[in-house]
Amino acid sequence: MNNRRLASMILVLLPVLVVLIFLGHKKAQAGTAAAAPGVIKIDNFSFTPATLTVPVGTTITWTNSDDIPHTVVSDDKTFKSKVLDTDEKFSYTFTKPGTYSYFCSVHPKMTAKIVVQ
Amino acid sequence: MNPFDPRSVLLAKHAQHVVLIHFPIALFVAGVTFDLLAAWKKSRELATAVYYNLTAAAISTVPAAATGLLAWQWQLEGKHLKGVLLLHMVFGLLSTALIWLIWWLHSRARHRPDGSLPRYRFPIELLSLPLVALTGHLGGFLSGVNIPG
Repeated sequence: MNNRRLASMILVLLPVLVVLIFLGHKKAQAGTAAAAPGVIKIDNFSFTPATLTVPVGTTITWTNSDDIPHTVVSDDKTFKSKVLDTDEKFSYTFTKPGTYSYFCSVHPKMTAKIVVQ
Repeated sequence: MNPFDPRSVLLAKHAQHVVLIHFPIALFVAGVTFDLLAAWKKSRELATAVYYNLTAAAISTVPAAATGLLAWQWQLEGKHLKGVLLLHMVFGLLSTALIWLIWWLHSRARHRPDGSLPRYRFPIELLSLPLVALTGHLGGFLSGVNIPG
């Protein structure tokens, strides 16, 4: 095979290879994102992170690291935790896309949101 | 909602305990302050003011304590008491008891012919003041108005 033919083959196959690698990476990423749960820490009267973006199907776990009891309640009542004492957790799986604003019903100024894509 | 609408007071979504608690605290602090002044100035008028301040303080502890217990049961779902919450409740009930004790000492004195008050009331009053202040301080942490930063 002469060099010109070899070069032509590389020029054709290379973009195909790049596309295939890219698609494979995205699929792996999506699979990884769905498997790894989101984690939100409640501490110092705040939710951290204040805004969390996750894919549909993600389970988010809130952990109260504060010395004070808190709750996790969505504005539209989609999810509502019991009163969480220090080190207690609450989990919820988001099955529908949307923006979910939530707050602590004991301390209503504690607010945050989750964006489900 | 219009802030001058009575419904904004009666139907407020926040716990009432954090509002009502200011009354016994302020009335008790004023009562003790007037008592010290009355003893210093030997003023019967101030002594009368002390009695009425302490009476109002004692009476106002009832709704304040009741709403506190209700907030624990309703807002905190009767959560097991520990940490700051436990301390706040213990100190709050102790403060309530001391305010009533101090009121009783003053009330009893008014029925005496000479109206004399026992001197041992001063250490009780002066020890109650920091206890009431500490209870309020812990309450501030529980409500989130006293967070650092």
